[in-house]
Amino acid sequence: MKLLTAILLIVLSCGIPGVVRAQQPPPQQQDEFVPIDQLPPQDQLPAAPLLVAAYSFVVLALFAYVVSVARRLTNVQRELERLEGDVKRGGSA
Amino acid sequence: MPNWFTPLAGICALMFAATPVLIANAPYESTMGLVQKIFYVHLPSAWMFLGGAIVCGIASVRFLFRGDPRQDRLAWAAAELVVLFGVITLVTGPLWARKAWGVWWQWDVRLTSSLMGWMVAVAYMLLRKYGGPGSDKLAAGLALFGMANVPFVYISVNYWRTIHPTTNVVPTLPTSFGLPLWFSAVTFLLLFILLLRMRVRLEEQRARIDTLYLSMDA
Amino acid sequence: MFGQIVWLILRKDFTIEVRSLEIAYTTLFFGISCVLVFAFALVQEGRAPEGGAAGILWIAIAFAGTLALGRTFERERQAETLRALLLAPAARPAIYVGKLLGIIVLLTAAEFVLVPLVALLFQAPLLAHPVWLALILLTGTIGFAAVGTLFAAMLVRARSRDVLLPVLLYPITVPVIIAGVRATGVLLAPDFDAGVLQVWVALIVSFDVVFLTLALWTFEPLMTD
Repeated sequence: MKLLTAILLIVLSCGIPGVVRAQQPPPQQQDEFVPIDQLPPQDQLPAAPLLVAAYSFVVLALFAYVVSVARRLTNVQRELERLEGDVKRGGSA
Repeated sequence: MPNWFTPLAGICALMFAATPVLIANAPYESTMGLVQKIFYVHLPSAWMFLGGAIVCGIASVRFLFRGDPRQDRLAWAAAELVVLFGVITLVTGPLWARKAWGVWWQWDVRLTSSLMGWMVAVAYMLLRKYGGPGSDKLAAGLALFGMANVPFVYISVNYWRTIHPTTNVVPTLPTSFGLPLWFSAVTFLLLFILLLRMRVRLEEQRARIDTLYLSMDA
Repeated sequence: MFGQIVWLILRKDFTIEVRSLEIAYTTLFFGISCVLVFAFALVQEGRAPEGGAAGILWIAIAFAGTLALGRTFERERQAETLRALLLAPAARPAIYVGKLLGIIVLLTAAEFVLVPLVALLFQAPLLAHPVWLALILLTGTIGFAAVGTLFAAMLVRARSRDVLLPVLLYPITVPVIIAGVRATGVLLAPDFDAGVLQVWVALIVSFDVVFLTLALWTFEPLMTD
């Protein structure tokens, strides 16, 4: 039974492309080049991903920098407070 | 932080929120279409990149010849911003170029000299970080040469046949393009001033730590 | 007085160098190895790439120059002679010009060997217009050495000076190197165009003027403690 199903599937898979091909006209063999002025829209490079990437990069870069400066500032502030506490208590390093 | 910092930050944030609306309402450019809208962030960040190099250079001159440590802190902060805005310019530019010129990068005068100017700023940061004592003066000398590069970057595009648009574009902009551009430019300028002030404050606090350590060991 | 100091410094450096010829030999050999590495890397099927000779020549000069600068000031640092020079009652710009001329002489000597080597290995007619070539090489070397002498001198007391010198030097001197390469390329082209060559040489000269002015102006404040 299983063998029969397998043979049936193989025969069908060979036949279906033949049916499809019979319904479409065969592609024309190209024997000359035809110039056009502008690429058809589906071949042109889409602008939207580039635009989105550019604006996202700007926002991310600026945000990353602000975070970096803020983090460094907090570290320095913390150390400054610790030091001032030490000095106030009259101790040395 | 000074009194003007928070109000200015608020204004800058509002302008940043309003800018995309203005950009979206601007007309498309005839040959470049949608991708030309990168112009509204590429050009202001390029201005901040070059302007930052000039700020760094002038502060460096004043530090070299007068020895004022505040000028040194200003120069270091400005150099960091040159690296930041340089990266933004050098990334948004090729993203635009990929569509407008068909290539990511070209070794023409404008692009090459901008890249070199950016590398000078990176070299400044490396020198400050790894140069050891005395590197503040050395970096100031470097920044001077970097500032000399800026006029070259700006006018180069007018005297060499390059693929990059000339400086004639901005003065002849129609108002429909000009309004979002100048609004975005003012936003970027405010942001530059705010970031510069934050970064200078970082250096001021570091200097206070140094003085405290020195006074403790005395 | 200025000229006297320059001459004295030049003579001092020359005398010290002639005793061992250490920097001259090592710089020269390094330049030759550079050219050979390029030859091995770029030659395919026994033929060199088109128009590669100009770039390779200038890269070899830049690398050899950086080495020479580093070694010259390392020698000054080890003997603490730079501090002695600065303590002497000599105008700082004169000291700078003295060291600069020494470097230019060293690099020019290296170029006398590198130019025929590149011409030979890359089959480039570099010596077709010797006067133009000499002009291009001289102005380019002056530009490179002007910035290099300043940076090498100011890095003498810095940490990581060996790696920082190229990091600082190359972005600034790239315009001079590019102009030098393009000028040499015009020289090598089959249709020799003197007009275009003049434009490139004028560009190198303008860079030289800017770099020399800036260097002379900043040498004093940069070298004081």
